[in-house]
Amino acid sequence: MNEENQLQLQMECTIFFQENPYAMESRDGLAMRLGRKPEHLEATLQRLVSLTILERFGNGPRSIYRYVPPKITTETVVGWTSS
Amino acid sequence: MNTVTSGIKGLDTVLNGGVPAGASVVVEGAPGTGKTTLAMQFLHQGAAVGEAGLYITFEELPEQLYREMDAYGWDLKELEREGKLRVVSISPDLLMEQMLEPGGLFEQLVAETAAKRIVLDSISLYRYGNLSVREQRETFYRLRSVLKRHGLTALLIREESLSEEDKPAFENYVFDGVIRLRLKVYMEKYRMRTVEVTKMRGRPLLEGEHVYRITGEGIHVVPARSMVEDVAVLKNQKCVSTGLDRLDQVLDGGLAEGTVYLLDTNSKANYKYIMGSIVAKRFEQGETVIALLSSFNSPMEMTNMLAAHGISLEEIIEKERLYLVEHYRRPHPKGLSDYILDVSRHSNQEYREWLAQVLEPVFKKGFSEGRKFFVYYDLNTIVAERGKEFIRNYFAEETAWARSMGVTVLALCNFAEIGDEIASYLERTCNGVLRTWVDGCYQHIQVTKAPNGKISEPMLVENMEERPFIRMV
Repeated sequence: MNEENQLQLQMECTIFFQENPYAMESRDGLAMRLGRKPEHLEATLQRLVSLTILERFGNGPRSIYRYVPPKITTETVVGWTSS
Repeated sequence: MNTVTSGIKGLDTVLNGGVPAGASVVVEGAPGTGKTTLAMQFLHQGAAVGEAGLYITFEELPEQLYREMDAYGWDLKELEREGKLRVVSISPDLLMEQMLEPGGLFEQLVAETAAKRIVLDSISLYRYGNLSVREQRETFYRLRSVLKRHGLTALLIREESLSEEDKPAFENYVFDGVIRLRLKVYMEKYRMRTVEVTKMRGRPLLEGEHVYRITGEGIHVVPARSMVEDVAVLKNQKCVSTGLDRLDQVLDGGLAEGTVYLLDTNSKANYKYIMGSIVAKRFEQGETVIALLSSFNSPMEMTNMLAAHGISLEEIIEKERLYLVEHYRRPHPKGLSDYILDVSRHSNQEYREWLAQVLEPVFKKGFSEGRKFFVYYDLNTIVAERGKEFIRNYFAEETAWARSMGVTVLALCNFAEIGDEIASYLERTCNGVLRTWVDGCYQHIQVTKAPNGKISEPMLVENMEERPFIRMV
């Protein structure tokens, strides 16, 4: 997967958790919500955890991801469109 | 048992106070019945009374719920910011895993929010997958145990398909209560929303189906058999016990003074114990009773009825606390004849004059001595001896007079015998109607009209050895 696609998935995941800040999802569950393949999300989720946008609970394929809300929040909805 | 207010208008009345605290209650219904709205309203109410809530959604996304509930003016995001609510999306199997895990995410979630209420939307998903029926049951038992361990009052949404409407799901046996929402076809063209609480452990309920509406403020239940209270009638009025506990409960203490009640009965229904208990109570309260005898209710019958309640007829007659009005020519026990007001030879006109010339002075004398009166009479006798017209012409006038003088009246009548028109006229004229009937081997009684607006469910009448010889179940 190229960098552009990675960024696209990263944005989709971030928006999902921003819109649903108390979602608790496994990789497979999130893939279902977003309409993506689970294996495509693997790297994205790892990256979001390293950026502390998400936190991981547990290890292995049953790990649960949840959002780490930023300290300062606004009501602004982050939009994204493909160019 | 403590209860928590549901926040749903009318539902707390049906639940006799609210949802039992710490109970796990299934809310079942077909799509479109308003389960989600009801559940969210329950949490919204919790937030208003300082009981934080968790809404756990398995399928619907929180963002959808935020939007949908906005229509009712419920700002869920604001409640989340205030720490009063949290809408959590998670898959059912992950939730169960975390619920069972010591220190797991579920425990953390309850601790973080200090939640007291929870909604799971929907537990139907635990039915899917490769689980056997036994495993599914175990899953529900585990779920119930976890919710109890945390002391959460829970609403568990269950999707109901039309095909399973008539057989209860096994979840309903596991959890403490079941609230069933239905969308029923009504008068062929319309659809009527009804709610029925089919189970609630350890709580008396307002049984039956109750209509509800989904309004701009959420769900509004109108409890069935709830009529407008006659505030004007009840104001400052004392109630006198009927001597029958269940009947007193429905009537908020008994028969209200200065009101008129009708006891609809038929020949099969053994109403003499009801009458006996009511009349005995009036004597206990020191009231003076005017009793119109019937072909069945002879002075001898009256003597026995009162004796069974420990009251001597001769004694109270001598104290001028009982007057018997007799429409029939028949022999009376020795010594009693002097106290019986015989109207058997009177024409209707003469009877009217007699009422004014003989009976009214009895009342006037009593009022001047500070006495209270209870009139009990058999309308069937009036119909038989004076005709329906007599009732049509004078019943309203007589009861209006009684009300204005603070006299309580109980009239016996057989609706089936006197016909619909007069029956409905009598029902309108009286403040309360008690109906008793026999169905197979059982006698039933139901309060179908009362000054306090309450209408009871049909109660079974059971005989007892001791006073008052019957009880209502």
